[in-house]
Amino acid sequence: MQAVRKIAIADVALRVALAGIFIYASWDKILHPKDFAAVVRGYRILPDILVNIPAIILPWLELMLGVLLLIGRLREGTLLLVNALLITFWIILVVNYFRGIDVGCGCFSTTREESSPMLWYIFRDGLFVVLALGAARVHRARLRGAAPTNAGGSAGGDAEA
Amino acid sequence: MINFRKALAQALGILTLATIVGLEVDFFRPDGLPLLNAGQSSVKLDQSGSEISIKDAALLYVTKRAVFVDARSQYEFLQGHVLGALNIPPSDFKFLFKTLKPRLDGFEAIITYCDGELCPLSHELAGQLRAAGFKNVLVLKNGWTLWNNEKLPTERGGMSGFTPAQSEAMCRQCGK
Repeated sequence: MQAVRKIAIADVALRVALAGIFIYASWDKILHPKDFAAVVRGYRILPDILVNIPAIILPWLELMLGVLLLIGRLREGTLLLVNALLITFWIILVVNYFRGIDVGCGCFSTTREESSPMLWYIFRDGLFVVLALGAARVHRARLRGAAPTNAGGSAGGDAEA
Repeated sequence: MINFRKALAQALGILTLATIVGLEVDFFRPDGLPLLNAGQSSVKLDQSGSEISIKDAALLYVTKRAVFVDARSQYEFLQGHVLGALNIPPSDFKFLFKTLKPRLDGFEAIITYCDGELCPLSHELAGQLRAAGFKNVLVLKNGWTLWNNEKLPTERGGMSGFTPAQSEAMCRQCGK
């Protein structure tokens, strides 16, 4: 019973932490779409003509994922997307590091005021990936723990159903 | 047990919703972005002020995105003009416009010029072209002098692309 409680606490803590990261990350991008498009362009991953599409959609996706994490709804889908996004961002950072393209990060701000070295961003985003993978694992463990006793009884009912 | 298909379905739902919200908001906000980003040109065409700098004019010329129209007299035009330019003095606008109109279509900009800081002909011609329905008309102020100062391509004689007979027909002041 103690272990189940610990898992529940870890589940909530990880979700709230990730929610904070995603909501905070979305804010500046929503306010400054043009600047964010310039950040996306700076990564030199997409052809110029497609740059605006992620600049338009990604901030809202991040905000939505943050809110969903916070309220604990649609958790499987949310955690799947959160992990997919964070892993993708991390891979892009690593690829650009090896390409010698130092564009800053643009992760939380669309301006270049964050001027830390790329390795720092790779390390920090790596931690976010660990958090997200941890959240998915804890959520899974929580479902396993809840399933035999009460299939729909604990918090975030849709996830356990 | 986590159901991967359920997770995938939820993820697609969230992604769809985020796409719809993002596109809707982008459509209505004043600083919204076009969905597809056309390659950005360093040339900023002034839609209101109607003048263009020599640098931008030269860039549009080199990339063949602009047609140049000399507003000076036909005599001055014969002595030298921007390579490939057309010649429409404002006083002959009605006479020449119909013949030259097809050669003004299909460009990003129509650039009129004459010579001298205070020369009114290029502005006058720009006004006539706008009145005739062209919206992309820009004036290169003191154009002929600036063009020569930068040693950009010029030529002498009549408008290129016309037979001598056509040129003669359009030329009211030649040799006078």
